[in-house]
Amino acid sequence: MATIRIPTPLRKYTQGKEEVQIAGATVQAVIEALEHSHPGIRERILDEHGKVRRFVNVFVGDEDIRFLENLQTPVAERDEISIIPAIAGG
Amino acid sequence: MSAGPGGHYLVLGAGGLGCPALLGLVSAGAAAITIVDHDVVDASNLQRQVLYTTADVGMAKVDAAKVRLRSRDPRLHVRALRLRLDATNLAPLLAEQPPGTIVLECSDAPDLKFMVNDTCLAGQLPLVVGGVQRWRGQVQAVQRGHACLRCMFEGPPPTELQEPCSLVGVMGAAAGLLGFWMAQLAVALHAGEPVAGTLWAIDTRTLLPQQMRPRPRPDCPACGAARST
Repeated sequence: MATIRIPTPLRKYTQGKEEVQIAGATVQAVIEALEHSHPGIRERILDEHGKVRRFVNVFVGDEDIRFLENLQTPVAERDEISIIPAIAGG
Repeated sequence: MSAGPGGHYLVLGAGGLGCPALLGLVSAGAAAITIVDHDVVDASNLQRQVLYTTADVGMAKVDAAKVRLRSRDPRLHVRALRLRLDATNLAPLLAEQPPGTIVLECSDAPDLKFMVNDTCLAGQLPLVVGGVQRWRGQVQAVQRGHACLRCMFEGPPPTELQEPCSLVGVMGAAAGLLGFWMAQLAVALHAGEPVAGTLWAIDTRTLLPQQMRPRPRPDCPACGAARST
């Protein structure tokens, strides 16, 4: 299963967990599975059209999924997926 | 004011990030600093805005910061600008900066951070942009030719999804860590070190940093506009 690194603002959906293990063949499948186990988290990552929100970035390993196959980027068994939202406070 | 051997730094925002960033710049030997902020010191600021004391409450932040920084280094040139930055005054302010100026975006305004990113790229001013909220934050050095803030995130969160610092709070230690980190990156940019394009994110409860090195996004409007100037 892939490891998903959960950013602080989304940990309220994961009972405070910083990482969760999720199986899925693509980033899209992983996010859907994440929503199934942690309801409400999907809409914080994807917009109403199902696209990654403008102020959120998703990396598989060190690679920005926008440079791969976006939400159809394949996910391997031991991949680490990082969800990085913009932090705007100062 | 001209950039001296220790460099000229333009610090936008003298709050939670700006205070430690300013201290870091002075400690690193900055020659000149311009501070921009519109606000006055409030008692609720003091747990994280470490330049100020209870005696400064009600005073303009830029004036209080200037006094405090000059007391640490009397040779430091400090320009204090009490100004609320917006789309009309940002570009003229950046255009009047001496060559070699490094900009630090320390405000708590999401839209302003992206506006500063775009304007600095267009004007070829190196920039360090930071953000902090609750226990976590992120920093990124921005320079033409490397991934910018808008390459990393296409835009700020919409208003309805923004979490104002006044509502969710900022831990003083998190602001201190991220502000000094910004100063370190600014000094590194001044020294010509290749720090631009990397985004560091950290949660101070775990202290496990994440380091992301996105490539410049080919359709990034800010980088595209900068290339055409």
